[in-house]
Amino acid sequence: MTRLLQVSEVHKYFGGVRAVQGMSLNVREGQVLGLIGPNGSGKSTLLNLIAGVEKPTKGAISLDAQRIDRWPAHRVVELGIAKTHQIPKPFLAMTCRENVAVAAMFGSNKQKDLREALGTAGRVLALVGLEDKADVISSNLTVQERKRLEFARVLGTGARILLLDEIFAGLSPEELRDAIALFMKVQEEVGFGALVVEHVMRAVLTVSEHVVVIEEGMKIAEGTPREVVENPAVIEAYLGAEATHAST
Amino acid sequence: MKRPKIRSPGPTLWGIGVFLIVLAGAAPWTPVFLLTVLVQLLIYATLAYSLNFITGLTGYVSFGHVVFMAFGGYALGFGVGTLNLHPVVGVALGALVGLALASGIGLVTLRFRGVYFAIATLVVAVAALYIVLEIKELGDGQGIYLNIGFEPLSWFYTIWVILAIEVALTYWITHGRIGYGIRSIKSDEDAAKTIGINAARVKLVLFAISGLFAGGAGGVYWWTLSGVFPYQAFDLNFSLQMLAMVVIGGMGTLLGPLIGAVAVYIPSYIFLTIFSGFQFIIIGLVVVLIALFVPEGIVGSLRKYIPEIRGILE
Repeated sequence: MTRLLQVSEVHKYFGGVRAVQGMSLNVREGQVLGLIGPNGSGKSTLLNLIAGVEKPTKGAISLDAQRIDRWPAHRVVELGIAKTHQIPKPFLAMTCRENVAVAAMFGSNKQKDLREALGTAGRVLALVGLEDKADVISSNLTVQERKRLEFARVLGTGARILLLDEIFAGLSPEELRDAIALFMKVQEEVGFGALVVEHVMRAVLTVSEHVVVIEEGMKIAEGTPREVVENPAVIEAYLGAEATHAST
Repeated sequence: MKRPKIRSPGPTLWGIGVFLIVLAGAAPWTPVFLLTVLVQLLIYATLAYSLNFITGLTGYVSFGHVVFMAFGGYALGFGVGTLNLHPVVGVALGALVGLALASGIGLVTLRFRGVYFAIATLVVAVAALYIVLEIKELGDGQGIYLNIGFEPLSWFYTIWVILAIEVALTYWITHGRIGYGIRSIKSDEDAAKTIGINAARVKLVLFAISGLFAGGAGGVYWWTLSGVFPYQAFDLNFSLQMLAMVVIGGMGTLLGPLIGAVAVYIPSYIFLTIFSGFQFIIIGLVVVLIALFVPEGIVGSLRKYIPEIRGILE
């Protein structure tokens, strides 16, 4: 069965700050949905709400029609939704293999057997191109490798819906090209659905089927990548009103 | 690929096992004076392993363990003095009281992290004394005197059994699937939650186990003194000594708490006979130096700087 994540009319207020104001979106297994918007527009907050790290003030989040918005983060992962961290958080004292193996033991895979989990970890690391770093202690990784390890770890949980928070940020142009190619290859192979929060336009427009644009916690546009970049509201949100006039 | 060894008892477990079995065999022939020293050493080792469950494995520093130890003593006092139980049953009661208390206290305090958790446990430790002082059934502030005999061998085998179970449990917990989960929590609790680990439950279970053994050790400790007295039982120095043992021996390791117990107890025993109080200055200095220069403790440093013996010390 294809899994479906539904976010409907979700609000999140931090005291007087309205971080998310009535966002709705759907992510199907197998589909990559891009989520873009200026800094502070509520993208990361929305991912945290879905992942169970934060609880919404109002609104519903459900997976296959089951409400999950009051569930703790670890239960959400068990259901098959896993999130990467914007700033990678590897378990520093462990090797890459162990990092991913823990995810396989405790995520929705729930592999009880250590050997089996370590085997899964090896396969996932090969998939993301970290196989030669498998037995390296993760504190020795570069930033780019840490980002890949984050990606490997969510894959290791066995999640079917991934929430990816700026996994393409901070890469050089060549690294970005490789990372995009790798992502698309892995996505095709594993067939996960993903909500990709991203600043790097080139990345998000390449990997996404559909893009949602958020500003001040509200959806201001959505459509195919091409429709979205041509939308005047989007250009205004990113570049200001003058740019809209200049482009027309 | 070299397959990692899993769940086959490692050399350290064998080593501790042989050490304990030799002690158990030698105990009946050991001179009484030496036997009483040995009993104290095993009590301290049990306390060190107890704190290791929470502070060593998860990094949550608890100053509150003296409370579980003291209530273990009071449970023994109440069980033996009022209910006329056998002291060994009193010790078991002490362990259960430690478990129950730790579950309750942990449920509240483990919501805090880092230094806030440490402060919360410190507050509990300070407050507990004044609560006990007001309870009539627990000696009404005077403590409980027990009229039980001098039985070093019974003390020895009781604490021996508790320590043996504790070491085996430490090994079992750290070397399985759950051990990986615990190490993840120690490394980054938020990341651990987002890969599906129920961090709150894992921490609470570890804290409760920790309380169980501290309660049992406290029961035996106050059994050897044939009574339990509030100001001595809730002396924060017990908490500090446990911390010193875990830090000096090596946080979260299988051998560390035992090494730490020997390294702290034996010198402080010697200094105690010279002038009381001086041992805490020494322990304090050693802990500061260890924390500054070798934060991994003795066992952790050996593992780090001599990679050849890493496998042995697992």
